[in-house]
Amino acid sequence: MINGTERILVCCGTGCIANGALGVADAIERELVAHGLSDEVKVDVSVVRTGCSGECEQGPIVRFMPRDLMYYRVKERDAAAIVESLEGEPVKKLLFKKDGETYEHMDDNPYYALQHKVVLKDVGIIDPLSLDDYIARGGYEGLKKALAMTPDEIITEVEKSGLRGKGGAGFPTGRKWRTAAGYDVFPKYIVCNGDEGDPGAFMDGSTMEGSPHAVIEGMIIGALAIGAEEGVLYIRDEYALARDHIQHAIDDAYATGILGESIMGTDHKLDLSIVRGGGAFVCGESTALMASIEGRVGEPRAKYIRSVQRGLFDHPTVLNNVESLASIPTILREGGEAYAQVGTERSKGTKVFAMVGKVKHTGLVEVPMGTTLRTLIYDIGGGIIDDRPFKAIQTGGPSGGCIPEELLDLPVDFDTLVEYGAMMGSGGMIVMDDRSCMVEVARYYVDFLCEESCGKCTPCREGLRQMRAILTDICEGRGKPGDIELLERIGRTMQDASLCALGRTAPNPVMTTIKFFRDEYEAHIDRKECPAGVCAELTQFAIKPDACTGCGLCSRACPAGAISGGRKEVHVIDPAKCIACGSCREACRFDAVLTERRPA
Amino acid sequence: MSDMITVTIDGIECTCEKGEYIYDVAKRNGIKIPTLCRHDAFEDHRACCRICIVEVEQRGRTKVVTSCVYPIDGECEIRTNSERIQEERAVLYALLGHRAPEAELIGKMSRRLDMNGFERLVSIDNEKCILCGLCVQACNSLGTGAISTVLRGTEKKVATPYDEPSKFCVGCLSCANVCPTGAIEYSQTDTIRTIWHRDFELLHCAECGEVMGTAESVRHAVGPDGELPTICDACRKKRLANEMMATYRYV
Repeated sequence: MINGTERILVCCGTGCIANGALGVADAIERELVAHGLSDEVKVDVSVVRTGCSGECEQGPIVRFMPRDLMYYRVKERDAAAIVESLEGEPVKKLLFKKDGETYEHMDDNPYYALQHKVVLKDVGIIDPLSLDDYIARGGYEGLKKALAMTPDEIITEVEKSGLRGKGGAGFPTGRKWRTAAGYDVFPKYIVCNGDEGDPGAFMDGSTMEGSPHAVIEGMIIGALAIGAEEGVLYIRDEYALARDHIQHAIDDAYATGILGESIMGTDHKLDLSIVRGGGAFVCGESTALMASIEGRVGEPRAKYIRSVQRGLFDHPTVLNNVESLASIPTILREGGEAYAQVGTERSKGTKVFAMVGKVKHTGLVEVPMGTTLRTLIYDIGGGIIDDRPFKAIQTGGPSGGCIPEELLDLPVDFDTLVEYGAMMGSGGMIVMDDRSCMVEVARYYVDFLCEESCGKCTPCREGLRQMRAILTDICEGRGKPGDIELLERIGRTMQDASLCALGRTAPNPVMTTIKFFRDEYEAHIDRKECPAGVCAELTQFAIKPDACTGCGLCSRACPAGAISGGRKEVHVIDPAKCIACGSCREACRFDAVLTERRPA
Repeated sequence: MSDMITVTIDGIECTCEKGEYIYDVAKRNGIKIPTLCRHDAFEDHRACCRICIVEVEQRGRTKVVTSCVYPIDGECEIRTNSERIQEERAVLYALLGHRAPEAELIGKMSRRLDMNGFERLVSIDNEKCILCGLCVQACNSLGTGAISTVLRGTEKKVATPYDEPSKFCVGCLSCANVCPTGAIEYSQTDTIRTIWHRDFELLHCAECGEVMGTAESVRHAVGPDGELPTICDACRKKRLANEMMATYRYV
């Protein structure tokens, strides 16, 4: 039974929308009208379309608040049952289940129980298009405090929090602001980097979608601290929903006097606008991003003179990542020391990760800095799909590395992974099982970077070109002795001599896979064998007769018509027709498809 | 002077002002650092070929920096030819040499380095361009802006927009002349010059008959309201000298 106002939160993050969340929300609204709810309930129920609730793989997610009843994988046809449950028992089949247990509340679900939400505290709870919703949860309290403080006091508070740039570089935000505040050159700019481009990453997009005012409040506080009166949000073009929500929030902020000529009635002013990125990965690099805003080719420049001194239009500029800025309101509201209570010695606060790949519960998580990879993958993520063996986790996108099983107990923070040649990066995490070929993974990232490097400097552009050629050769059985050493040699020069951070970290996927999975490279080169059974030129597939049940799933999945066999008969793969795509192995429920070395 | 700093470059003590680039200080002291994308004609340097990398040791830390744009900010020891730099420069030459196998300059510049171990690298057929970007800088600094680098990553190249004839190009050949590897192709008959997919009519000196440039480049030089010259610079000077001799009996 409900007391007072009940809100039905329907997750309308990008993932849930793709799974039909908007239809679910509409259906629930229709049911509310049609359904014979008791009068007092009817007037007090509203449907709220929220940002990403996090557990994307279980979406669309519907949650009752304040009752905290959470439904997963909701379909439109469930709407009537959901509305009925407002006054009755929960709909059992829509609750979260694990190991035979059923969980009604969000905090009972281990996926959420181990999280600590600061940046995402309102995401999935509020209507991102409602300024009132944001204010009701303490929004713009931080700004009010900041308006009563001097710039120096604001910066001191941020310094106390220990906040470091969450885009991946980890530069102390307070120090960046203090440097920018020290220059008496005007105008100054504050820029929000919303160009998140790592494959598999959606932290910043979800934050902008789900809590746009938090980003704007962070920017206003930053502008007050450094003395900027103009700010730009650079948002990648693919993030249409994020852009719409941010624009809506900016409009609301202007209309209510939070932005514009007089911030909340004070003498301070700030104008914010959105610049759409053109879809270039490299424009996430600070100097390339600023070049892009200025209308020039998105190429980085040497950063011996930093952007805080000479950035956008050659003026002092602070560039902060979305997640850093969205942390600022909480830091101001609750104090820097409170924020610093969470995290490790040198990495304070929390970090949002987008966990994807072969993990059971994919989605968005926010955990204290220093949480181990094992906790993230197994306790929060629920382990590997089909309980297959874990092989590696790719962190930090194309600038990061592949981390093997033996390092899973390392705390994830700005510094630890770097010591092992990988990096935490901006927060993208791709989990891989034993059916991932690490040489192929390295080739994938190098291929991505061949297209997405700006191509300005020699080591990055030409180094990647040569790496791609060598890795393709290795994957296709043309690897030669000495290839690994040559890759390392090119990689070291790229790390030292590239112009920007993207180029200096571009060889990381190759260098870390060589470091931790050298035997796999050697198998490809010396024995022309792909141990994971991925590289098509080196692999052939066969069916184990004693394991095959003749269910026919494999033959239906085969795009080449290479598998034959009658119902309940052992199936056979015709090697002449097989294209080694691996679809049969993915489809088989009985582990009956095996891979072996393809004879030369 | 308070802002003078003493640094050591390859063991030689050099004095410089704070903020001066390593490359310039080295050059002034007779230390030649190789480079491909840096040109005295321009104030800004793209710092993209990376050949001019050097090692800087400062406050106990050693890093590799690009000497053409690295401003010296304090006492430090700079090594332009250490083992590490030689190795990395060799890799860079190898990368450029395979990108542009027709660029003979790369082979000449790298001949003193150990260039073994790169036989495995792949080459681009018939390529001469090393993407140093000097042509684009030249075109921009003339105010024409007809060419730029287009595309990104390994596909990057220098081109006019959409590889079509550019209405801003004046056919002046500045791009081709500044190119260190001779990668920009053009052809010329008695009356027509062809570059960047476009034909330009050539103007000839009324006196000596030498080519003065394309009609567009001569117009660009005198400005939209300027008077178009009919004779070349050399003939104009000669004519002036003759007039002065006739008038004053001396020049």
